[in-house]
Amino acid sequence: MRLFKTLAALLLTAVTVPILLPSAAHAQETVKVGVLHSLSGTMAISETSLRDVLLFAFDEINASGGVLGKKIEPVVVDGASNWPLFAEKAKQLLEQDKVAVTFGCWTSVSRKSVLPVFEKDNGLLFYPVQYEGEELSKNIFYTAEAVGQQAIPAVDYLLDQGKKKFYLIGTDYVYPQTTNLVLMEYLLSKGIPIENIGGGLRKEGDKVVSAGKYTPFGHTDYQQIVSEIKQFAASGDACVINTINGDSNVPFFKEYAASGLTADDCPVVSFSLSEDEFRGLPAKDLVGQLGCWTYFMSIDAPANKKFIADFQKWLSTTTVPGIVKEKRVTCSPMVLSYDGVYLWKAAVEKAGTFDVDKVREVLESGSISFDGPGGKVTMQKNHHVTKTVYIGETKADGQFKIIKTFPDVYGEPFLKGSFAKK
Amino acid sequence: MANRPSFVAASSAVWRMLAAIVFLVTVPFTQAQMEDEKPEIRQALARAITTTGDEQSKIIADLAETGSPFVRRILMSWPRDEISIYTDPSGAVIPVILDSDRDASGRAKAKRIDTGAWLTDASGQPFTFTSQDLKPAETDSKLRRQIRNTLDLMALADPSPANRISAIMKLGLAQKPANLPILEARVDKETDRKVQKALSEAIALIQLKEGDPKVQAAAIKRLAELHSIRSLDVIKGIAADKSAEPAVIAAATSAIASINGYIQGVNFFGTIFRGLSLGSILLVVALGLAITFGLMGVINMAHGEIMAIGAYTVYVVENFFGPGLDVSPFGVRISIPGLHATGAFYESYFLFSLPLAFLVAAAAGILLERGVIRFLYKRPLESLLATWGVSQVLQQLYRLVFGAANVQVNSPRWLSGNFTISDVIFGYNRLFVIGFAVLIVFGTWLLLTKTPLGLLIRAVMQNRSMASCMGVRTERVNMLTFGFGSGLAGLAGAFLSQIGNVGPSLGQNYIVDCFMTVVLGGVGSIFGTVCSAIGIGIVDQSLQQILLNPVMGKIIVLAGIILFLQWRPAGIFVTKSRSLEG
Repeated sequence: MRLFKTLAALLLTAVTVPILLPSAAHAQETVKVGVLHSLSGTMAISETSLRDVLLFAFDEINASGGVLGKKIEPVVVDGASNWPLFAEKAKQLLEQDKVAVTFGCWTSVSRKSVLPVFEKDNGLLFYPVQYEGEELSKNIFYTAEAVGQQAIPAVDYLLDQGKKKFYLIGTDYVYPQTTNLVLMEYLLSKGIPIENIGGGLRKEGDKVVSAGKYTPFGHTDYQQIVSEIKQFAASGDACVINTINGDSNVPFFKEYAASGLTADDCPVVSFSLSEDEFRGLPAKDLVGQLGCWTYFMSIDAPANKKFIADFQKWLSTTTVPGIVKEKRVTCSPMVLSYDGVYLWKAAVEKAGTFDVDKVREVLESGSISFDGPGGKVTMQKNHHVTKTVYIGETKADGQFKIIKTFPDVYGEPFLKGSFAKK
Repeated sequence: MANRPSFVAASSAVWRMLAAIVFLVTVPFTQAQMEDEKPEIRQALARAITTTGDEQSKIIADLAETGSPFVRRILMSWPRDEISIYTDPSGAVIPVILDSDRDASGRAKAKRIDTGAWLTDASGQPFTFTSQDLKPAETDSKLRRQIRNTLDLMALADPSPANRISAIMKLGLAQKPANLPILEARVDKETDRKVQKALSEAIALIQLKEGDPKVQAAAIKRLAELHSIRSLDVIKGIAADKSAEPAVIAAATSAIASINGYIQGVNFFGTIFRGLSLGSILLVVALGLAITFGLMGVINMAHGEIMAIGAYTVYVVENFFGPGLDVSPFGVRISIPGLHATGAFYESYFLFSLPLAFLVAAAAGILLERGVIRFLYKRPLESLLATWGVSQVLQQLYRLVFGAANVQVNSPRWLSGNFTISDVIFGYNRLFVIGFAVLIVFGTWLLLTKTPLGLLIRAVMQNRSMASCMGVRTERVNMLTFGFGSGLAGLAGAFLSQIGNVGPSLGQNYIVDCFMTVVLGGVGSIFGTVCSAIGIGIVDQSLQQILLNPVMGKIIVLAGIILFLQWRPAGIFVTKSRSLEG
């Protein structure tokens, strides 16, 4: 698998370079842009989709004249789901290829790994995947959903539905742990007593260091946890906040459905399951469960319809080797990648230069926005993005029916400790 | 759901499984039929949808009195935006339901709620719409709440006991004294024991809100007697309420103790059951390896990939029964046509796929044995490397054929569900795996001890050269034994497809557990494998229950196994045989 993907990546670079050679001959007319995603290894399934949508965005921009009259020349590198390798590849992009901007990373650990490189070489990175916050680098722009743009609106919705008990469950790593701690503080500030937050608390002294139940990556046995949830939910008005990542969602939801828990009496809201993940999940077991993102493929807006149609058209004609062309969907991380490209383009055009410091200044001015497929997105001074948050209900075809919209939610990375306890 | 064949809804687990086995006939899903409803009810419904405010609430309240299933269905569809509004040229609004039958362009006819007839143009020709053409009938949160309450009241008379219980409990947990007379009126009418229990639980819950401390204390006492886990939170609230009467607080405190004691009992038995089921899964996945590694001494790192063959077989069979499947390995497009089966016939796909999974995996195993392993019987280290290489090749093959992403396998309905005895959940899939494990262990035991082939297998495994001297065709026995072990792995994979992921890395996730179980049980002893699988399962689940932390539980189990193997390196049951000593 790895070999094959590496080969594919090599081929890809080998193929893209000659294609772009004619334009590279007139070096003045191209600008190099980095794409840093895992095209092999465990994360490849998710991250390859982001590479695809980025290449699509570049082609779209190039077809309409490029940026500042220059065509975008993508430099695609493979992080191979290997976090130290991400840092090396970032270094290569910045020092060797001298890219004007990089779009990339999925996992928080890969972002943490490249962060010092981007800061040292004063690069520019656009990061597109929901994350736990508590970070702000002058060299990174986070088009991703911050906790306040996914978890908090979802909890607001559930509180509005009269839910009084919240069971927190996730995979054991930084994003679920941090998100759940923030959520716990938020729930307490909303007057939810601590005994109504399920999953268990771990304390060091008086300080809660971990809230909720955690399972390792690839966990398959959820019997015990589901029976615990069943007892927790017996008294009614309960819900589950799910930050389980990847494959483990399948045994979890199968067990959940088999135990007789339904979306009616105890809905599960998941933060890591988007349309793209449903390509490999039996959506039937999840019908009626909730998702919360800043984009859904089912958004009924002309911009989104056009985006989906153009992307499909691009897929059918593209010559990128090894690209999956069938049954493709669009999802939030893809759209936030796409939005990032256009935000960068707008900033570059306003600054009139590709210079990182000048572009950053423009991006930080708060005047750069883009009408993306998920609605208008505006870059804020704090490197996060104001955008619309949607809550959707899973349907049997792996799509979401949008049931609630929160327009123009401000992106705030530092939420820990910001909620006063009532 | 409404048009599910009635026998599938039968309550007993055994009945469900039997039903799927016996009724291998296609039961067509009948088109959702519009009940013939009285015109005045239809018109009232249409009015309810098109008016607003107080008038609307009054009509809905009146409709609840009718108890009509049609009203219930419409009220359920309404908040889901399944009712659409058609505005005719004169400006009149007509609520309609789009038919589920779509034509090629995705258009469907619309049925009028007020008359039950198709919506037609002036010439009587039915209109067709796509789902985008019509606006859904709006609901706001106040209206949705009223609809939900109305549905709850109507559900008290539902034919299914489970639905009645859930409706009763909803009313009980809402604790509105206004609902008390409604529930009390049901007490005499109700005949089902479980529903009666739910009724008295709900009534007691509502009585907690009554002002009279005597009533409260009595209600608390009754809830404790009913072992009501549901009311634990409420009773805790009362016990913590400083303004309550001392007698009430005392009753609440003792009720909490009694219910907590009951929960512990539930958890104890639940843990044993879950341990058994986890143990059975381990046993099912490890049994094949107990044959190929335990008996034959072949370290087969591709064992997990053979399991994946079984899982993919289920996937293919499922799609064969359903919509068909297109795969394109190496650029060759292979289309497997689908049967488009529905109902019990479709649900039975899993039973057909089990023997097939065994055969396909056994064939793959025999191929592996003939192609690679037979040259390496005397060189275990090389066989480790070679089979590891094979496992990589197979994984890549799965990616090429079925794609890198996991594939979806839908569990048949009779494997998804549960019944509860005193709040201990018995999932059908879990019961199935326990029964399945018992069956295949029994089958393996029969084969090894009661058949001529079993005798030959044991002879060859104990001393290959001696058996060969006696005229046993050891090559053939090796091949068949390895094929049998691989077939068992295929069965394991088939079952795993029902509880987890089916993907190229399925095997890798289980291979460590497999070896762990076999080594702990004692290499060469099938009985040891059974004991170690069940033991690991129960210890793992108990630790999870005690520590409330799956990560720590797993670590302690692994550490425990390491320590145990330090003490008894040969595992629980030591097998003495010449071939293993050599």
